[in-house]
Amino acid sequence: MQVNRIAAPLKLLIIAFKTGRVTKKYPFGPPLITEAFRGAISIDPAKCWGCGACVLVCPPNALDIIFEKEKIVIEYFKGRCIFCGMCADTCPANAITVTKEFELAATNLEDLKEDVVHRVSKCAVCGKPFAPAAELRDVMKIHPITEEYANICPDCRRKRTARAFGMRFGASI
Amino acid sequence: MKLEEKLKSVRRSPWVFHLNSGSCNACDIEILDALTPYFDAERFGVKLVGSPRHADVVLFTGPVTREVLPKVIRALRAVPRPRIVAAIGSCAVGGGIWWDTYSTIGGFPKLQEILKRYGVEIDRVVYIPGCPARPEAIVYGLLVALGYVKQKVSKVVKTVES
Repeated sequence: MQVNRIAAPLKLLIIAFKTGRVTKKYPFGPPLITEAFRGAISIDPAKCWGCGACVLVCPPNALDIIFEKEKIVIEYFKGRCIFCGMCADTCPANAITVTKEFELAATNLEDLKEDVVHRVSKCAVCGKPFAPAAELRDVMKIHPITEEYANICPDCRRKRTARAFGMRFGASI
Repeated sequence: MKLEEKLKSVRRSPWVFHLNSGSCNACDIEILDALTPYFDAERFGVKLVGSPRHADVVLFTGPVTREVLPKVIRALRAVPRPRIVAAIGSCAVGGGIWWDTYSTIGGFPKLQEILKRYGVEIDRVVYIPGCPARPEAIVYGLLVALGYVKQKVSKVVKTVES
């Protein structure tokens, strides 16, 4: 009996020494992050079109698009993001990348926001702002044939087409 | 006394109270994970207590459902000053996936407005996003709340040149 009383804790000691230290020294050492970990997204302003495909697909509405007079703002709120990475899959310009950043603690909600500001290009005919300039630039690059009508707003384009049809059938407009 | 002086007394050993306000239990499991020997929040003196009256920091999870709202207000009122709240997870920070549901309030920022009406002041809030937040992120957030480490994120405005 007496031998057992001493031997039982010793067995535990042996197990503990075999396992070694398991504690992660996190704030003073590297974090435990795997290859598949998804953190906050980052939007590359050089590639982003401002089309808003990410906004449509975002489940918790962490990405929001705001139309103002002269600019379009894509607002990313990290506080609501669930880090699913669907926006990165959907992005037609591959502007969104999923980073491994997870140290997002903030004492102010404003610090968790990220804005991408787009300039809106104006219609060549009526002068009304209608689409982000970056989107038009890249569409023209992919399909050069659109160059002659891409900078005209949809309303003016409709009028122009109707007019061309009318001329074709001999109407005087 | 200023908040910073008060925080000094808390800093050595912050006792935490775990308050669930209708969370899906993922963040709660991560909180327990942060307290286990693997991530060992007890290195910083963090200890889980069973009553809000004993707590310095409230670990707050969930999007605050309507059913739980009066209980949350009562629990937060019982916490002694300085009241520090760590809002953990996307739900507690910004409403998460339930951002426009009828049955939830929509996270801690909305709750704070209601608390102001009831005269319950919160001295410091630290928001820890993540769905669920990693145990490391929770430890890091606690250290930010207590002033051990500096906050990394700040508001970014990117302008597209075209």
